[in-house]
Amino acid sequence: MDPTLRTFIDQTINGLAIGNVYALTAVGLALIFGVANLINFAHGSVYMIGAYVGWVCVTWLGWPLPASFAAVAVVCGALGVALERFGLQGLHRKARIAPLLATIGISFALDQATQLLFTANPQSFPNPLPAERIALGGVSIGAIDVLIAVVGVSTAGILFGFLRFTQLGWALRATAQDRDAAQQMGVDVEGVNRATFGIAGVLGGLAGALVGLYFATVYPTMSFQAGIKGFAANLLGGLGNVPGSIVGGVVLGLVESYGVAAFGATYRNLFAFAILIGVLVVRPAGLFSRRRTLPPEPMTGTFVPNSRPVRVPRAVVIGGIAVALCFPVLVSDPYLLQILTNAWLLAMVALSLTLVTGTAGQSSLGQAGFMAIGAYASALLSLRAGLPFEIALIAGSLIAAVLGTLLVLPAFRLRAHYVAIATLGIGEMVNQVIANWDGLTNGVLGLTNIPPPSLFGIEMVTPRATYWYSLALLLLAALLQLRLLRSHLGRTWRAIREDDVAAQSAGVGLNRYKALAFAVSAGMAGMAGAFSGHMYSYINHETFASSTSILALTMAILGGMGNMVGAVVGAVLLTALPEVFRGLVDYRYLVYGVVLLLLVRFRPQGLLGTV
Amino acid sequence: MFKTVNSRIAIASALAAVVLAACGAPAATQAPAAKQKAPAAEQKASAEPIIIGVSGPLTGQNARYGEQWKKGFDLALEEINGAGGVDGRKIEYVFEDSQSDPKQSVVVAQKFVADPRIIVEIGDFSSGASMAASKIYERGGLVQFGMTNSHPDFTKGGGEYTWSNSSTQSQLAPALAELAVATVGLKKPAVLYLNTDWGKTTYQLFEEKAKSLGAEIVANEAYLPEEKDFKSALTRVRDANPDGLILISYQADGALIVQQLEGAGLKLPIVGASSLQSPDFLKLGGKAAEGVLLRAQFLPSDPQPRIKNFVDKYKAKYNETPDFFATHAYDTIKLLKEEIKIGGATREGVKTALAQLKDVPSVIYGKVTFDKETRRVSDPTFVNLVVKNGEFVAWEGK
Repeated sequence: MDPTLRTFIDQTINGLAIGNVYALTAVGLALIFGVANLINFAHGSVYMIGAYVGWVCVTWLGWPLPASFAAVAVVCGALGVALERFGLQGLHRKARIAPLLATIGISFALDQATQLLFTANPQSFPNPLPAERIALGGVSIGAIDVLIAVVGVSTAGILFGFLRFTQLGWALRATAQDRDAAQQMGVDVEGVNRATFGIAGVLGGLAGALVGLYFATVYPTMSFQAGIKGFAANLLGGLGNVPGSIVGGVVLGLVESYGVAAFGATYRNLFAFAILIGVLVVRPAGLFSRRRTLPPEPMTGTFVPNSRPVRVPRAVVIGGIAVALCFPVLVSDPYLLQILTNAWLLAMVALSLTLVTGTAGQSSLGQAGFMAIGAYASALLSLRAGLPFEIALIAGSLIAAVLGTLLVLPAFRLRAHYVAIATLGIGEMVNQVIANWDGLTNGVLGLTNIPPPSLFGIEMVTPRATYWYSLALLLLAALLQLRLLRSHLGRTWRAIREDDVAAQSAGVGLNRYKALAFAVSAGMAGMAGAFSGHMYSYINHETFASSTSILALTMAILGGMGNMVGAVVGAVLLTALPEVFRGLVDYRYLVYGVVLLLLVRFRPQGLLGTV
Repeated sequence: MFKTVNSRIAIASALAAVVLAACGAPAATQAPAAKQKAPAAEQKASAEPIIIGVSGPLTGQNARYGEQWKKGFDLALEEINGAGGVDGRKIEYVFEDSQSDPKQSVVVAQKFVADPRIIVEIGDFSSGASMAASKIYERGGLVQFGMTNSHPDFTKGGGEYTWSNSSTQSQLAPALAELAVATVGLKKPAVLYLNTDWGKTTYQLFEEKAKSLGAEIVANEAYLPEEKDFKSALTRVRDANPDGLILISYQADGALIVQQLEGAGLKLPIVGASSLQSPDFLKLGGKAAEGVLLRAQFLPSDPQPRIKNFVDKYKAKYNETPDFFATHAYDTIKLLKEEIKIGGATREGVKTALAQLKDVPSVIYGKVTFDKETRRVSDPTFVNLVVKNGEFVAWEGK
């Protein structure tokens, strides 16, 4: 056989095998998207717990596989229901953003609890299936590949039939379409919601157990990567589309496999996200959407709650700023000053998010990518071109603004959750490019000896100096944003948020204004990144990981979306909380998750938001 | 209306204030108290414990490495304090979780620098988190001691205050090449390496040495740290027709690679870097790990007392063989104890003592002496191991 053809066939089989795994992960996510219209950040944790339950049953209790899978289904189904009952119930009448935040809190708590119970070490999950392999071309597949394919396709089939032909399935779909109407028709929407989470829990748990078997390993942090790939597969197939997400998973697996074959394994994610965004540009609602339907109401499914921010009296704001400015005079502890410096820098990122998300109605999970661009641009300009800090910082922000906007440009056709995940992909891509572009960025070795922040040639390295410097930058950014929001630009952005169809028919060129919003936002995040880079003196492709994007979004929504003061309060709170809980050591993030959940419970619309 | 809004703000701001206060309270009360005590303690050499600060991951993606560190620390301190400590003072450590995230490691650094009880700092784990904090330690005059920081520029980050007993790739990689090319006789190896600063530098130095020994590297595949599926990469490797496979991997990814070889239709001799020396690699790799050769730093079953003692005690305490990270942690505490003995329990003392240390016994290196210029260990030694019946044993040659 021709060697190229042989390689192609082998890589196709490799792609189908891993695509199979992605598809399984995507099915449960698709169901929750479809019914609850929610990005469930806790789904990855349920998946991980499923893997652990399976592992306990097989290796500790010595149960056969079918009994173990039954146990996984029962435990994770119950977990799904409990999650809905204790975490989310009571929130769906509230701001739409609340359940999302709640799922973030729950996932922190679940991941950490598992780690405490079973340690962070990966556990071996030996595969009890027969070891025979079926040779296909030059490669071979094992019994587990077949099992995953069978489980994936049959669950999709069963789910499809269930949604089409059973009464509960109808109720589920009706609730998904219009909650209030369904209730009026006598559907027990609470029960339906619970059933959805239960079914999704079963699916997520089974997926986790099967993937644990597939890689013969279970570990507490397996949830995050699974979540990202699951989302991507889902998006490719169309959100909430169950058979679509199976195909999406397989397509993603194939694309990755061909990408690795052509460029090497380190380009896997870069290639995957590039293709994802490429597909979305051509088909903004995924590969299998029959028609491009507009959401029934303009704000459905965005992260933006239908709430107005609390108007904070000017005196309180000025007082707060005064306290912040005087703080280092009163307190000299560098530890506290460093925490607040971090908070000011993250507040800039949260502010930049309020601008795109709360004002222009575009959600972004890619702010960390903009931070990385700003940090690298500024660091390289001062290291290689010898520019002074101030100039490098400004140039870095501008480069982040321009590059960031260009990167997000293809996503402008997208709506709601699609924008969020596309920007998450963009953030990942930025870091992957940094890791692979040795000539410019020094690759994975990162940049060392970045000069510290300075002002007019004087180095600002003491904790007090960096505190005031970062605070000043934050205030400047806030003033700029305030000025913009009060101009005609701000009005136009709000018009786009409230109803983009109406705005467009009133003559607003949507893309230009969205581009402007993203430019300002990316520039601000870039400035925060640039300052951090100089403060750290060393950065690499992991310094601004996508978890920072999620953190910034959490801060912005906790503060009350679209509310500038709220974003800053959220940033201070979420930077300080993990520090407050330092004494709890291993339990730190468990408690952090629970506190986040409680905050959402009592202020579902954000701390400074009103319904 | 106005009233309710105001009360809500009041609640929110009160909450923020409470958080800030709670956050400030321990540090604020601690610092002055400690400041008063410190000079007195030095003069009297009282029974106040000597404190080492540790910044590392206890939660998040890298938590498992922090857990291994702790096991090594605890065992070493048990021995030291059981024997009366240093000058009648016990050694203790404060482990602050940084998640190996630079945002948190700089905060921890400020906390340690401000706490006068702490005389030396260990960590962080990843280069990003460690090197972001180096300048803070330098400015604070506190030695940052990296146990696992093999980044070539790590010890340059904080001037005279950054030291490391991690072997650098310039020592490890050529040794690996010698085993693979000169000893095993691979002429056309393929290399899989972790795409991190560690993996990349190791690969580059490996390639240089392997070429000088007359081998040609037919394929090199970098992979992401979170990679789980290696089949596509292995198919690429297969197409290059190598005569052996070099793994510059950590434990979990190394185990996944050896397991997936069969599915990719590959059957090759495998030579791995010392980082694979871990019970996890054996446990996760299972049967597929059999026959893997390692260029490692010590042999667990070595009868020499410095190794046997440690391995036996570790097994008795934790019921597993020590891995790379726990061993480094154990060695580091033992090393710092010697420093404190020489230079005294002060920050400056630790710094000056590091340069004076000579031939300190070590599990990993045999004897440790620091190169004053690079602030790293001079001339580490290596041994060849092979996985046999689920254990690492000395490799006797072909």
